[in-house]
Amino acid sequence: MTPLQLPEMIGGVLPVGGLLGEVLGALIGAFLIANFLLVNTAVAGPWAKRKITAAFTDRIAVNRIGPFGLLVIVADAVRLLSKELIVPEGVDRPAWDLAPMLIPFSALLGFAVIPMGNGIQLADPETGLAFAFAAASIASLGLVMMGYASNNKYSLLGGLRAVASNIAYEIPLIITAASVVLFTGTLQMSAIVEAQTTATLVEFGGVSIPQWFAFVNPFAFALFLLANLAEVGRNPFDIPEAPTEIVAGYQTEYSSVYFVLIYLGEFIHIFLGGAIAAVLFLGGASAPISALSFVPGFVWFTAKMWAFYLFTQWARSAVPRLRPDQFLEVGWKGLLVLSFANLVLTAVIVGVTA
Amino acid sequence: MSSWIAIGALALMGVGIPVAMMATSWVLRPSVPEQGKRTTYESGEIPTGEATGIQFNIQYYMVALLFVVFDIETVLVFPWTVIYRSALDNGASLTRVLVPMLAFIAVLLVGLVWAWRQGAVKWVTSPRAAQRKTERNT
Repeated sequence: MTPLQLPEMIGGVLPVGGLLGEVLGALIGAFLIANFLLVNTAVAGPWAKRKITAAFTDRIAVNRIGPFGLLVIVADAVRLLSKELIVPEGVDRPAWDLAPMLIPFSALLGFAVIPMGNGIQLADPETGLAFAFAAASIASLGLVMMGYASNNKYSLLGGLRAVASNIAYEIPLIITAASVVLFTGTLQMSAIVEAQTTATLVEFGGVSIPQWFAFVNPFAFALFLLANLAEVGRNPFDIPEAPTEIVAGYQTEYSSVYFVLIYLGEFIHIFLGGAIAAVLFLGGASAPISALSFVPGFVWFTAKMWAFYLFTQWARSAVPRLRPDQFLEVGWKGLLVLSFANLVLTAVIVGVTA
Repeated sequence: MSSWIAIGALALMGVGIPVAMMATSWVLRPSVPEQGKRTTYESGEIPTGEATGIQFNIQYYMVALLFVVFDIETVLVFPWTVIYRSALDNGASLTRVLVPMLAFIAVLLVGLVWAWRQGAVKWVTSPRAAQRKTERNT
């Protein structure tokens, strides 16, 4: 029997039943998950990002408002939302307005199938993994729309670079994910997590290491992290918005609430990347060692998402940017070939050992 | 069925949250139209010409074509990865489940090598830019 999912849990305590209860349960569940992500982004964007970068560059960042400067989140939210929206001359109007909505939409939609532990999962369709990738790649469309509709040469170049980078690194990303599917034999997210938690890989001195795919196939994990970094457009793969070359790329002409929406989308996208990596390689919401499994799975899952966020910020502070030509070569000649080699090798190993 | 209701609900939230934020901002923000504020930002220069009419590197187009090939290929690999293990468990031999896919990937790799040797994944610089660079250096 599969454990209850979030909409069913909420639907169970609602006074109405039937289809109406189901829809209401789904809506409330979706509202909770979306707001959980908003809170995470609010902490990650105006506060954690500055604190982490400051720690890397030996400075003290935001520490004036509230404990640890945490209230800067509120101040920043009000500041950004109350700025004047400047609509540049000659922008392609419906596309220019729709694109900033598309970015957070695509990233949020991907979270519908992510199992966050303790049954917190909106839906668990059999095509879960494919759905998550499909939803996440709608963002590319938003990036092209932003670049093209802004009527700015920097924006157009940024949009083109963003698409070139997204399509170059999406194939290694998905092919590497497919090498995990070879082990699990299913695309259902909960089943992928289950395949990692039911058995232990090795055991020394009473400490058992779980069968997470990051330990089973560390090469695939490294490839996935690298491709994911490019997918969310962080250093060393941040040529789409390279501030020293093309100002801010596709988001040059966006101010006020549109700026907030684009950043919201980008941060949720990073968390989505972390969530997919956690589900595929880090055992989803399970604890690393069984002695720690008294901590709720939801806490572990959030910690894993934040670990990926920390990784992107670390790379952002520590690694220089690749040139566009190097970027193409690393993507098409390096990661693509390596990810296919990984797929074929995994298939052979699974075939021989099965 | 119920899983798609939940996904639809999240999609609704994904539209609703940006719209709510835009509405909040619309209430809060000032509007001070001034001359010159609305020009697009090009490092302080007065923009010349339409941005969408500029010429850009042909490489973006080549890479997009290559992507279409490999994306369709990825779609074809996915069903194979799903059934691979259960087919082996049910006694299918490796030559039946693995070798056809190896042949398929090999054909694609030949294509990639061809594109590679044709220079489709090599960044081309225009002859004029190369010439300018030589002029600067001499």
